[in-house]
Amino acid sequence: MNEREFHPDVKRLLDGEITIPDLPLELRAEGEEALRLLAAVDRSPVATPAVTWRVMAALERRRPRVRWPWLLVPALAMAAALVLWIIRPSAVGPSAGSNVVTVRFVLVAPGARHVTLAGTFNHWDPRATPLVRSGAGDLWTATLSLHPGQHQYAFVVDGTRWVPDPSAPAVDDGFGRRNSVLTL
Amino acid sequence: MRFPSILSLALVAASPLAGQQRFTGRIATVVESLGVAAAARGLPVDPVIEKAIEGSAKGIPAERVTTALRVVVDQLDTAAASLRTGGISGDTIAIAAGEFAITAGLHGRDITELARTGRPAADVTVGLRVAGTLAALGVPPVESVKLVSAELRLGRPPADLLALPGRVETEVAHGATPAQAAAGLTRAAAGQAGGQGAPGGPAGPGGPHHGPPPGKSGEPPPHPPHP
Repeated sequence: MNEREFHPDVKRLLDGEITIPDLPLELRAEGEEALRLLAAVDRSPVATPAVTWRVMAALERRRPRVRWPWLLVPALAMAAALVLWIIRPSAVGPSAGSNVVTVRFVLVAPGARHVTLAGTFNHWDPRATPLVRSGAGDLWTATLSLHPGQHQYAFVVDGTRWVPDPSAPAVDDGFGRRNSVLTL
Repeated sequence: MRFPSILSLALVAASPLAGQQRFTGRIATVVESLGVAAAARGLPVDPVIEKAIEGSAKGIPAERVTTALRVVVDQLDTAAASLRTGGISGDTIAIAAGEFAITAGLHGRDITELARTGRPAADVTVGLRVAGTLAALGVPPVESVKLVSAELRLGRPPADLLALPGRVETEVAHGATPAQAAAGLTRAAAGQAGGQGAPGGPAGPGGPHHGPPPGKSGEPPPHPPHP
């Protein structure tokens, strides 16, 4: 398993599909820690938080420090690579009494000035759905209510870079790039 | 189903999107041309319009957008024909789902196989989306179709189908390949179909707690709005 990802059962816990008692004993401490840390960084009103803390911790360890001007180029290159450290969207659950599912999208994008989300649900408008910076500044989130169905999307970093979610299923977009897929 | 599609096309023909610079007049012309012909064949035009908007939003040159639009129409034709062979005709939502499945790597015969499960078109639509998602996860198309087909034949509700990608991902996280994970789930479904009772989860490195996730309350409706 990739070190930036939770154990799948812990993800299910964070997605609200199961509770702590449903976890195997050996995962309960991890689950409780994940919930605790996410409660500390996530201030959005959705009750069940998304998967973020391990990615943030990993980024804190790996983030380059720009101490000298000549280090700027490799630092920026590393920052660009880290943009790909994206967590899959977290299906929080159906909204009460409606035919929509609340989904949280999370992107870790060090150095980004603004991040948006474009996809079939907003007619690929890169300005329609901005993500909000939170946490230490590298974490961007957006919570959307989406209709059940099949959606394709990508993140747009600084208005120009279209970044698929590497931890979500993806398909060819027909233009030589990849679209992430979300099936609800 | 056809009326909303034609209505969408009419909106494009009026070029409001082009007027908002969502896409150029040249692409709008191609969309109109392809869309009119597609609608006449009973195909949904929304996927064509969406692809045009997507290409323009991504700054793709018009020539390449045009090529992509033709591919979409070809895939819609294939999906419609395959569904028809499987006994489902005129359902534009199912056709659009089939087009996505083809994009993800499935073939026309795979779509036909799912259509032949005898399930309602709405369930087959969900099955096509899930099969495509599984393929996008790395499950070989043949395994994706086997799994979804087995689940459809068991009469699983859409919510159970939608849980399949997550179950495959769980097995993959425990060391199985996507193909192994899907094959294990297919065997489990086959075991249930054979009256052997629920065998738990798929074979492989996963433990007993890796079985299907618990059901959710308020599951989405079986036939969601047109994508």
